[in-house]
Amino acid sequence: MIGIQFKGFVAVTTSLLVGLISSPAFAHDPIFGIGPHVLFKDGIELAAEVESKKTGNVNSQALVFDFKYGITGDWAVGFDLPYSFKDNGTNSSSGNGDVAVFTKYRFWRKDSLGLQDSAAVLLKVITDTAASNENPSLNKGTTDTILGLTYGSEGRKWYRWASARYRFNGTNNAGVDRGDKILLDFVGGIRPTPTNYMEPDTVWLLELNGEYGQRAEFGGAEQVNSGGSEWFISPGIFWTKRNFAIKAGIQIPIYSNLNGTQQESDYRAKATFEWHM
Amino acid sequence: MKKQFIAIVVSMLLISPVFAAGTHYEMRVDGLACPFCAFGIEKKLKAIEGSSDISVDLNKGLVKVNMAEGQTLTEEQMTTLFNDAGFTYRSMKTTSLEK
Repeated sequence: MIGIQFKGFVAVTTSLLVGLISSPAFAHDPIFGIGPHVLFKDGIELAAEVESKKTGNVNSQALVFDFKYGITGDWAVGFDLPYSFKDNGTNSSSGNGDVAVFTKYRFWRKDSLGLQDSAAVLLKVITDTAASNENPSLNKGTTDTILGLTYGSEGRKWYRWASARYRFNGTNNAGVDRGDKILLDFVGGIRPTPTNYMEPDTVWLLELNGEYGQRAEFGGAEQVNSGGSEWFISPGIFWTKRNFAIKAGIQIPIYSNLNGTQQESDYRAKATFEWHM
Repeated sequence: MKKQFIAIVVSMLLISPVFAAGTHYEMRVDGLACPFCAFGIEKKLKAIEGSSDISVDLNKGLVKVNMAEGQTLTEEQMTTLFNDAGFTYRSMKTTSLEK
């Protein structure tokens, strides 16, 4: 019994630590949350992203290559190819991460002079392709699906977004039902100097990101040391020029109510370089 | 005879801009908020044969382009083009580039 509990604990912990919850970055969307931005029809976006996360004694990093294509002016598809690094203080590992495919459809858009209000839905499937024989493990052992709904208002000076995501976490190879997750984001942004096309442009962001995770289950029993909620305050920046963009931000935990004994997040950081073609 | 020939050549050079003239289009577009997002407009207008001197004024919601003689832009074409770029086309003004 103790063996099963320990196996469950290890499996739950591994699953939770593996999941750097990344959202596909679309142009002027929040760094950690999501927004309704898509791509112009037949447009291509190539992006390179660096993610870093520290939770207790575990450090995780990922390099992500991201590709997007605009099917219409309101509908885009893409995929993420991550390469992950992990260090738990005793061992370190690296290898291919979980490939993700996603699509976003902007179902509502209201345009006026210098202002665009819009809303979109997002679907993302995070496959189970990460290297599985590493220690610490890079593999969560299952496919997860994220559904998102987002609203954004983009003006010449001010930005605001609100979004919600539901992450359906699958049952992994070890038999752990990892518990679904709800993510909420509220974001404001300001462009101090409203620049024009072809000029370097800077936008500052402040995000409030909340996450609530259900308890994991193993063998029909809820795992005590799983689930709970965390909130982050996340300053960030966009810097763009014509069809190039650099985005960066850091998530700082401000509230944590994790069930049982779990390591709390210390920080998460992300930097992205985007190129539109 | 020589003077007449020179006069004809000079006259042709002076009036040649008329033959090379095209049309300047100024389009009102809504939803233009960020410079980065306007790249799709530039790319799509550039893909039209005869287009040149494309500029975007985000504050006034104006997109400007010159078209070579014989090349025209239509309302229907611009409605589709701006929708595909993620914006809303409102209207256009045209000016001849002839001097």
